[in-house]
Amino acid sequence: MKLRHFLHNRTALAGLTITTLFLLAVFFGPMLSKWSSNQHDFMNALQAPSWAHPFGTDSLGRDVITRVLEGARISLLISVSGVFAAMVFGITAGLYSGFYGGWMDVVVMRVVDLLFAFPAFVLALFLMVALGYGVTNVALAIMLVYLPIFARITRNMTETVRNDAYVQAAQVMGQGVPRILFREILPNISAPILVQATIAIAFGIVIESGLSFIGLGVQPPTPSLGVIMADGQEYFRRSPWVLTLTGLSVTIALLGLNLLGDGIRDLSDPRLKVRE
Amino acid sequence: MPSSLKYFLTRLSGSLITMLVGTIVVFLVMKAAPGDPALIVLGDYATDETVAEFNRKHGLDAPLMSQYLDWLGGLIQFDFGQSLSVSSGENIGDLLLYRLPNTIFVGVYAILIAVTLSLVLGTLAALNRGTSVDTSATSLAVLGVSMPDFWFGYMLILGLSIGLGWFPSYGFTPASESLAGAFYSGFLPALAIAAPMAAVFTRTLRTALIENLDREHVMVAKAMGHSGRFRFLHHVFRNSLIPYITVVGLQIRYLLGGVVIIERIFGINGVGSLMVEAAFARDFFVVQACAVVFLGIVLAVNYVVDLICAMLDPRRVR
Repeated sequence: MKLRHFLHNRTALAGLTITTLFLLAVFFGPMLSKWSSNQHDFMNALQAPSWAHPFGTDSLGRDVITRVLEGARISLLISVSGVFAAMVFGITAGLYSGFYGGWMDVVVMRVVDLLFAFPAFVLALFLMVALGYGVTNVALAIMLVYLPIFARITRNMTETVRNDAYVQAAQVMGQGVPRILFREILPNISAPILVQATIAIAFGIVIESGLSFIGLGVQPPTPSLGVIMADGQEYFRRSPWVLTLTGLSVTIALLGLNLLGDGIRDLSDPRLKVRE
Repeated sequence: MPSSLKYFLTRLSGSLITMLVGTIVVFLVMKAAPGDPALIVLGDYATDETVAEFNRKHGLDAPLMSQYLDWLGGLIQFDFGQSLSVSSGENIGDLLLYRLPNTIFVGVYAILIAVTLSLVLGTLAALNRGTSVDTSATSLAVLGVSMPDFWFGYMLILGLSIGLGWFPSYGFTPASESLAGAFYSGFLPALAIAAPMAAVFTRTLRTALIENLDREHVMVAKAMGHSGRFRFLHHVFRNSLIPYITVVGLQIRYLLGGVVIIERIFGINGVGSLMVEAAFARDFFVVQACAVVFLGIVLAVNYVVDLICAMLDPRRVR
């Protein structure tokens, strides 16, 4: 996939732009803000959006946009670490089970089928009860939701390329199995995995927000996106902007990630390229 | 044995094995969870005698294996034991029987909305490929998957309930009391759950239709002089149904996930809100019962979807 092609694909470019802006805002925004995320100001509680407070203030007078930027940092970190762990374990399991087949494949795919049969959010909720609430356990729940997806994609892709000439050549040259799997096969099947990773990070943020929103995920005062929205939901009728604008920011960030994933998919799928 | 019957039985046994392993995992994870059920019910100041009495009464002093088998034996007869704390002492099976219809109603309602929206948008987009109609439909679809469903639920409340006053923002009339009331009070929650699904369905249908529009058998049908409408319905649409229905079936996972949180927001007495309440009350018995019920629904729906796909494409059976 060449950079030139990438920049000519409107979807990919739009996705990349939004995602980059989102990342810049999340990393540098809190530094530029003159407020801090836990700075109370009771005289200015529940102010509507204004120049001083673009997203308004919450019931404790805290600046909402500063909280959203810091919350996005936490939510993104949780989602990325959960998805990364899911990729490490899922891809490894998928490579080995797709390469060897046999009983190992059967066992791995049974476990994957089982994890896959639980509704994603129900699985996450169930794990929160079993493990307890908090940042690490939310990441762990996201990992278990996405592990089967990465394992399944990797396994199916590995199975299709297992007998390709370059894999056989590597075998004939006497390369070890781990080297063949990670240095020969993995780079060749990376595009669909990358697409899935982008989308998984987006949905990981939704899972974190959802769990924290109902109070079973990240716990206040840590400001994750879900915690801020849960807070905004309490006085939604009086001051709807806290929940509305926080959710709108989440939507835009996820839109960027989803467009980026779509763009990579379009570019890496030759069938689609011919057609469009 | 005919190959079709064999296929159905193989798939059925596969689902049943997954279900069985699922119950083992759910049981063991709940056993390993921190917190002693006896202390949750009796409080931290319970004496050793009352704890032992409690454990004896609930069969918690038996070996793990026999506890599991007891529980499994109950499950088969829809007996999930008694609630610990969320609805103390009540039979969990009764709680579920009361709440399951509401969850199913809202879920099916959401699927109907999502399917209707996606049939219209997906077909319009595919038939007008590359035009502004296509761009709007696909953009709407990307937007749909990017919105957290609970946030969209609140936006619907803000616009259609608080703003225009068309729909109630909280509460649900069960279908058994009034069918019209259920459709009316369930509209906003169903729409909130349906939006992201409609987006995924639209994209799937559009891709499948476009792929089939270019296929050779459609060209042949055109050469034979079949009308455009006939070609679309019999050659393009029918063949696009398999990926579409497969995706509808796969989305049941996300649908039920959405149901959990949306039920809570809109105050619907369903299995999802029961699971959340039980999670707060640390009622392990109810949480594991709800997890098993959701697992069962997903497996059952996926089984039915497989059967429908096998009927549409008999090659799968062989």
